[in-house]
Amino acid sequence: MALLGLMTLATGGSLSSCVSVAAYQKMYLNDEDMKLANKRIETYETNFESYREGAGGANGGKVGGGCGCN
Amino acid sequence: MKKLLTMPRSLFTLPTTARRSGVALALLLAPALAWAQATPTPNRLDGSGPPTNNTARPANPSNHGETEVNILMSYYEQDGSHGAVEGGVGTQFLTDVTPTIILNIPLDSASRLSANLGMDHYASASTDRIDQVLSTPSSNDQRYHADFGYSRALKGKQTIIGVGAGFSAEYDYTSVNVSASWAHASADGNRELSLAGQVYFDQATLIRPTELRRDIQKNGDPDAGNNTRQSYNLNIVYSQVLSQRLQMAISTELVTQQGLLSTPFHRVYFRETGGALGQAQTEALPRARYKYPIGLRLTYYTTDLVQLRGFYRFYNDDFGITAHTFEIEAPVKVTPFFVLYPFYRYHTQTASKYFAPYLEHSITEKYYSSDYDLSAFSANKVGLGLRYSPVYGLARFKTPFKGRVAKFKSLDLRYAYYRQSTGLVAGLASIDLSFTMP
Repeated sequence: MALLGLMTLATGGSLSSCVSVAAYQKMYLNDEDMKLANKRIETYETNFESYREGAGGANGGKVGGGCGCN
Repeated sequence: MKKLLTMPRSLFTLPTTARRSGVALALLLAPALAWAQATPTPNRLDGSGPPTNNTARPANPSNHGETEVNILMSYYEQDGSHGAVEGGVGTQFLTDVTPTIILNIPLDSASRLSANLGMDHYASASTDRIDQVLSTPSSNDQRYHADFGYSRALKGKQTIIGVGAGFSAEYDYTSVNVSASWAHASADGNRELSLAGQVYFDQATLIRPTELRRDIQKNGDPDAGNNTRQSYNLNIVYSQVLSQRLQMAISTELVTQQGLLSTPFHRVYFRETGGALGQAQTEALPRARYKYPIGLRLTYYTTDLVQLRGFYRFYNDDFGITAHTFEIEAPVKVTPFFVLYPFYRYHTQTASKYFAPYLEHSITEKYYSSDYDLSAFSANKVGLGLRYSPVYGLARFKTPFKGRVAKFKSLDLRYAYYRQSTGLVAGLASIDLSFTMP
């Protein structure tokens, strides 16, 4: 829980200090490797992790339903 | 869900103080919300769920209005010595081959159809121990799945709504799901909020270890034939540009499951009765479970050569599992079109209160499991991927569809090695071939 609290504080701090970035300034952010999501090819890894681990979710992978997994 | 779907756009246009309060409120509410993935992929990673394309990013001019086709394949292999079918002491050897096709078809400038079709062919030495006869029928199976989605950008294209439906089927398990999503980007494209909900209706055929079937028939167990499971998932993602080189997304996913949550062919042996044949019981778990994961993802454009991608997830559920997961990836652009990306993942979790190893449960307990997926362990994953995506593609060829020319756009290869402190080791090789067609 302490880690979660720290993460929330850090995120809150970041949000309050973020700047407005114009579209023409987003050449770095639009890079393929800057996407805020898993790559399509990671599908299978997130799936097997959800089967082999008791924890899952919040990352785009399986989290419940659709299989006999946890 | 409807209330969440109608969240006003004004979250992004409020005065600074109110906006900060709104953000703080969103962060506080985050664990109570859950599941929209601001992912550029047409569906959730597992293929199910609604399309949730992110409008905040400009359309890729190289494939605007083109049909995208991705052909994916993976080979997975694991081995260990804590198979749940034999009460936590058997083999865990398993292989899985998973061909998949993902289609993303633009219907017009605002709407898209997506489809995710595939199968798993798996061979499991563990499930072959459900009976005492090692045989082909119980040692391998196929799972087929198909998921479809429709998404539409509303006026101004800052808001996208989507719906989806799908099913999967294997020998003893079928599942149907429906989903809906909503995503809204701020006018400057620096923030996005997305919400999605999904419901699964699953049905399982109860297959128990052979030596336990006679007792169940004799006692008239009402759950002897089939059983059901319902899963309700709600996902929320808030993404935010922090600087010209840094952006983040915070996501949460609330899950509630009702119905059959145990696996009927998992044996549990008790310390009072020992490990002789016929002394086991089938795994017993509560018929409801609540999961509360929350994730933070950061991407940082360090230099033109190297970028950094990080992910942290905190997880908790009412089975007693608390987990932390860290991931880091460092894509290295060897050339503008050739990227190598090493990655590392660390996962640690506490044991479920219903788990105990072989012969450590007591017969007096109400719930029991010797499934090591629910045990306390740590896991490390390390691997390397490469992506080759030349600007004009790798090749072009004529298709049977009115002779249209398709482009073999990119190639992605990846290998991961995974090791748990329980002794389980696994390896997975994946490939993603990406095509576009006008």
